[in-house]
Amino acid sequence: MTWEYVIPNVETGAPSRASELPMDNDAFAAFYKRSARSLWAYLARVSGDPALADDFMQESYVRFLCASRPDEGEVASRRYLFGIATNLLRDHWRKPASTSIEELPEELFAEKDRAMQLDSHASLGRAMARMRPRDRQLLWLAHAEDYSHREIAEITGLGEASIRLLLFRARRKMAKLLRERPAEKAKRA
Amino acid sequence: MIFKACLREAEVTELLHSGRWPAAGTPELVSHVHSCRRCNDLVLVKQAIYSLRVETISAARLDSPGLLLWRAQLRRRNAAFASVGRPLAGAQIFAMITFILVAVGLVASQAKHGIQWLQWFEEAPQMRAFHLETLWSFSFMRADWNLMILIPTLGVLAILSGVVLYLASEKQ
Repeated sequence: MTWEYVIPNVETGAPSRASELPMDNDAFAAFYKRSARSLWAYLARVSGDPALADDFMQESYVRFLCASRPDEGEVASRRYLFGIATNLLRDHWRKPASTSIEELPEELFAEKDRAMQLDSHASLGRAMARMRPRDRQLLWLAHAEDYSHREIAEITGLGEASIRLLLFRARRKMAKLLRERPAEKAKRA
Repeated sequence: MIFKACLREAEVTELLHSGRWPAAGTPELVSHVHSCRRCNDLVLVKQAIYSLRVETISAARLDSPGLLLWRAQLRRRNAAFASVGRPLAGAQIFAMITFILVAVGLVASQAKHGIQWLQWFEEAPQMRAFHLETLWSFSFMRADWNLMILIPTLGVLAILSGVVLYLASEKQ
C-alpha cells in the first residue's frame, strides 16, 4: 500500500495532468500568430516602453494559457487576453508609489516614451505620449482595435457609461494635440 | 467640456472601422464631418491612431509560441505541486501545535503533583509491567501504566488530528 491510497485524491499523475493546457500546440500557435502583434502594439503604445511590452506580452500569454476558462471563441479569447494585459499594466503603474493610475503625472509617462518617439510618426507618438495612460488605453482599444464601449468596459473593468465620457474627453484632447502639431511646425518655419 | 452627442457619429464610425472613409462617405456626410467638431475629432484621432498601429505592429518582435506553451505548462505544474503540498504543510503545523499543547499540558499537570513522573522513571525497571509475563495478563492495567498509555495515545491523537485536518483542507 502506498501513501496515495491512504490519502485520497493525491495521485502521482496529478501534476502532469495539471500541466495540460486548455489549448493544443497548433491552436495556440495559430491564435498567437493572429493576436500577438496587436497585443504588443497595445502594450508598447500604452506603456511607452517596448521592453516592458515584450515582458508583458509573454506574461499575458502565459496567464492566458494557465487560466481555466471555457472556450468561447477567438473574439472572446482575444478580449480576455487584452484584459490580462490591461491588468498587468495597471499593476505595473500602481507598484512604484502605490498611487492610482489617474494620480500619476503625465510627464512620467512622456519621459518613458523616448524610445517610441524615434519612429517615423514621431509627432503622432509624441501626442500619444502626452496623454494619460488611461486615455491611451481607451483610445487604443477604441480606435486601433475597434472595440465597442461594452468590450472596452469588459477589458478595463470600467463602467460602460464612464467609457463613453472618458473616451470623448480623451479624443478631444488627442485631437487638440494633433491640431497643435501643424501649428507648431508653421510657427517654427 | 460639454459632452454633446452627434447623431451621425455612428455612421462615421462605421465607415472608419470598415476602412471606407472618405471614399464611401456621401458629400453631405463629408461636409458634416468638416463642420461637426465631434465627428472631426473622431476622424482625426482614428486615422492618427490607426497609422500608429500599422507602424507599431511591424516593429513587434515575436517569441516562439512553443516557448510560451512550455512556460505555461511549467507554471501549471508548479501550481499543482503547491496545491498538493499546501494541505500537507497545514496538517504538519497543526500536528506540531497539538503535540506542543499536549506536551505543555502534561508537564503542567505533572508539575502540580511535584513531577512524580521522574520518580516513575526511577521505579520503572522494578515494575511488573516490564516483565515478559505481564504481557499475557491484564494485571498491568494499574496506575503506574497511565503514562505509558497516555503518551502514545496523545501522540496518535496528534497525528490523527493532523491527518483529519489534511483531509479537510484537501477537500476544499
